[in-house]
Amino acid sequence: MPSNGWHYREVTNTGGATRGALHPGELAQASVMAALSAATAIIAVVVPFAAGLALLGTVPMGILAYRYRIRVLVAATVAGGVIAFLVAGMGGLMTVAHCAYIGGLTGIVKRRHRGTPTVVVAALCAGVAVGGLSVLALTVLSRLRNLIFDSLTANVHGLAAVLGRIPHMQVAADRLKQIFGTALHYWPWLIGGSSAVSVVVVSLIGWWALSRVLRRLIVIPDVHQLETTLDTGPVAPAPVWLRDVRFRYPGAEHDALGPLTMSLEPGEHVAVTGANGSGKTTLMLILAGRQPTAGVVDRPGAVGLGKVGGTAVIMQHPESQVLGTRVADDVVWGLPPGTRTDVGRLLGEVGLDGLAERETGALSGGELQRLAVAAALAREPSLLIADEVTSMVDQQGRDTLLGVLSHLKERHRMALVHITHYNNEADSADRTINLTGNGSAANTDMVEVVAPPGASRRVAGVAGRPVLQLEGVGHEYGSGTPWAATALRDVSFTVNEGDGLLIHGGNGSGKSTLAWIMAGLTLPTTGTCLLDGRPAADQVGAVAISFQASRLQLMRNRVDREVASAAGFSPHHRDRVATALATVGLDTSLATRRIDQLSGGQMRRVVLAGLLGRAPRALILDEPLAGLDAASQRALLRLLEDLRRTAGLTVVVISHDFAGLEDLCPRTLRLSDGVLEQAAATAGEMA
Amino acid sequence: MTAAAQRPRRPVVLLRPVPGRSPIHDLWAGTKLLVVFAISVLLTFYPGWVPIGAVAALVLAAAWLAHIPRGALPSVPRWLWILLAFGALTAALGGGSPVLHLGSVAVGLGGLLNFLRISALSIVLLGLGAMVSWTTNVAEIAPAVATLGRPLRWLRIPVDEWAVALALALRAFPMLIDEFRVLYAARRLRPRPMPAGRRARRRRRAADVIDMVTAAITVALRRADEMGDAITARGGTGQISAVPSRPGFADWVTGVLVVAVCGAALASEVLLVSTTFQA
Repeated sequence: MPSNGWHYREVTNTGGATRGALHPGELAQASVMAALSAATAIIAVVVPFAAGLALLGTVPMGILAYRYRIRVLVAATVAGGVIAFLVAGMGGLMTVAHCAYIGGLTGIVKRRHRGTPTVVVAALCAGVAVGGLSVLALTVLSRLRNLIFDSLTANVHGLAAVLGRIPHMQVAADRLKQIFGTALHYWPWLIGGSSAVSVVVVSLIGWWALSRVLRRLIVIPDVHQLETTLDTGPVAPAPVWLRDVRFRYPGAEHDALGPLTMSLEPGEHVAVTGANGSGKTTLMLILAGRQPTAGVVDRPGAVGLGKVGGTAVIMQHPESQVLGTRVADDVVWGLPPGTRTDVGRLLGEVGLDGLAERETGALSGGELQRLAVAAALAREPSLLIADEVTSMVDQQGRDTLLGVLSHLKERHRMALVHITHYNNEADSADRTINLTGNGSAANTDMVEVVAPPGASRRVAGVAGRPVLQLEGVGHEYGSGTPWAATALRDVSFTVNEGDGLLIHGGNGSGKSTLAWIMAGLTLPTTGTCLLDGRPAADQVGAVAISFQASRLQLMRNRVDREVASAAGFSPHHRDRVATALATVGLDTSLATRRIDQLSGGQMRRVVLAGLLGRAPRALILDEPLAGLDAASQRALLRLLEDLRRTAGLTVVVISHDFAGLEDLCPRTLRLSDGVLEQAAATAGEMA
Repeated sequence: MTAAAQRPRRPVVLLRPVPGRSPIHDLWAGTKLLVVFAISVLLTFYPGWVPIGAVAALVLAAAWLAHIPRGALPSVPRWLWILLAFGALTAALGGGSPVLHLGSVAVGLGGLLNFLRISALSIVLLGLGAMVSWTTNVAEIAPAVATLGRPLRWLRIPVDEWAVALALALRAFPMLIDEFRVLYAARRLRPRPMPAGRRARRRRRAADVIDMVTAAITVALRRADEMGDAITARGGTGQISAVPSRPGFADWVTGVLVVAVCGAALASEVLLVSTTFQA
């Protein structure tokens, strides 16, 4: 991510002028918002007493209508409607349709800069239309209408009969029957009128929520990077020559890259190294077709991003670049219709033989990245750019992935650019380009990979009182259903006061489930997890947990409000906010900063400040280092070590990595396939 | 501990087929969607006992063919049973024809029958939807929709675009559900001081809702940005499935069977016994 080049999201109408088919960005927004709206609608229909939640389904649709053209909203409505129909039947479909209708209405009113009166008028018109349609539908569906009305009449008459038996209630019973009879007689007015009123009410609530949400969304940075290249002509991205190329993001004060002069020949394997902020990602963007601010980029033909024989890019986040639900579908995703692809051969080349029918959701990070390589190879690219592809992958996955990348040259005549911040990953390349950055990024830290430790090392010298005691803990998801899956089996260990424990395991080893159980968020299906002798599930909040996705844990819009809310005091206590921030090494000046203006490392620290403000019995950290650059990683580790040493904080780290964690966590437990490895289970031997 | 004492509730599992293969699993997804759609329309127009019974028989037969175990059904919460019992009781007391004579006691069954019919209708429709979800791989749905919608292309309706959006939404759906889980858990971890005074409390609650929605939308926007990048990196849209999506022989057989059963039910409903119109 170009942290120095965040351009703020344009929350105004961005696509009004464009016509024709949906752009990649529009399509992605439509799909994700459709899923969001469908999820809300499904919960509203399926979960009892959650119908009110359906109102919130209007917000994603409202945002689409506000930011894009109607075509995007329509695509989202169809997609969301089908999903809701598949899960929750007609009710789900109707809920999504309503959300789209009301969200679209409010979004468009907002886009035209109109106010509440316009919403009321528009909603009234819409309400009358909806009411009219419902009446029409019930008129046509006369048999269904009769059935519903007869059934209701029976219910009311039965109720009246019971009431009539009670002394003095005879009159009330008669009135009930009479009122119901009248209501039934005038049903078109009743149903039409009530739909009109409910549409107006729901529109106003949607409008209120949308206005507030939009106000807060203005500051969310737009992290999209790639743009469809407009160059036409024959595709030939390599060889490429860069001469004195510079690039500056709009509104930035420094160049993010350059001046850089380099060349790239077909069949060459080049590694690009450099610290965060040295312009590695910017170089990727230039190679992928962005126009530099200054200098010349020379290539024989068009860049052809994603085209056959063109440029292919593999990015950092394994999950988000996989587009197919099934492995084989992902390999061919986006290829021109009619292209024949030997999926089996491609999967074999990246070591995913026989997984063609597997769901992509079940793959590990490393497997997903290799799948991305296969999808790139399906396009026979002349230029393949791998941008920090190993940074979110565990050690084993990293090794396999690097093996795949270094063997590509033998079978394909392509130029391979491997961008990395791990020095040793550059070794297999023909040559290395080291970007030094432009002053602003003076840190030249590179991460060295550490050899894996044995299952258990030194046990902490101090053995405090036991805090968390796990006894025969096992957990099975979906018990009793055909989808039952065991996540944990017979896990027993104790965490003592002041302990530093690393629970190490790969993807799907059950370590996250274990973390949720220790935090009391999940009740294990077998065994017990005790916190200070009482079930942890009865004391949610006593054990703090910092999730991998920090952003999900930050709910208020400003740092001081967030810390105060998480720690449970008033944001007006400035000194307490300052103390909490100081604990995690953040400056007080950050207190009034908006959450979305923080860097990844700062977000994680703000989460910690809030959690530590409640003086938790223990702190669980789920992948605390993921997504942070080398300097932030080291600083965070030092902070946590300090807290453990000086404040006696009990720390449990859940990670697929061990680099640099040995000082923070003197004790290691290895978890694989939901079972603690034997050597580690008895953490008794001293070093 | 409580977990060992009480039987765990079976959760609602979304969009995941029951593992294994069966003739129903192997049907083209488009056939299943069409059948569900056609039957829904039939039952909405003619919610009589005969069509409901015929469809129920079809659903049960399909469930038997597809080896759907009883465990696939989510646990029915107790309040729903209570609600059903209450509805049945009041409806039974409502009386109405036909009247059953038990010796000297006359019991009007009309109300109860109507209530039972509308309950059966809801259950059959739910079961119909569940059959699709239990036997269809999510990856097959979008290609099937694209194939089914092909005639709409002549009307210049962007069906392919919708199919791609559907495929991507299905891909994003589980990721968003996971994120919702974390969001909900993060909220549970927080202290919840409720300010004194109804007005302040209502304000607090509204602010809470906006905070949750904003967090969810922020995450979704970021996902969408990354997904947009991924689409751009693939050079835009094109194929969404590695295997062609079209009906086979079994699908035609299924189609004929369903049309025959529904047609017979419809004919009996319209021509012979009408259970729908009762004075």
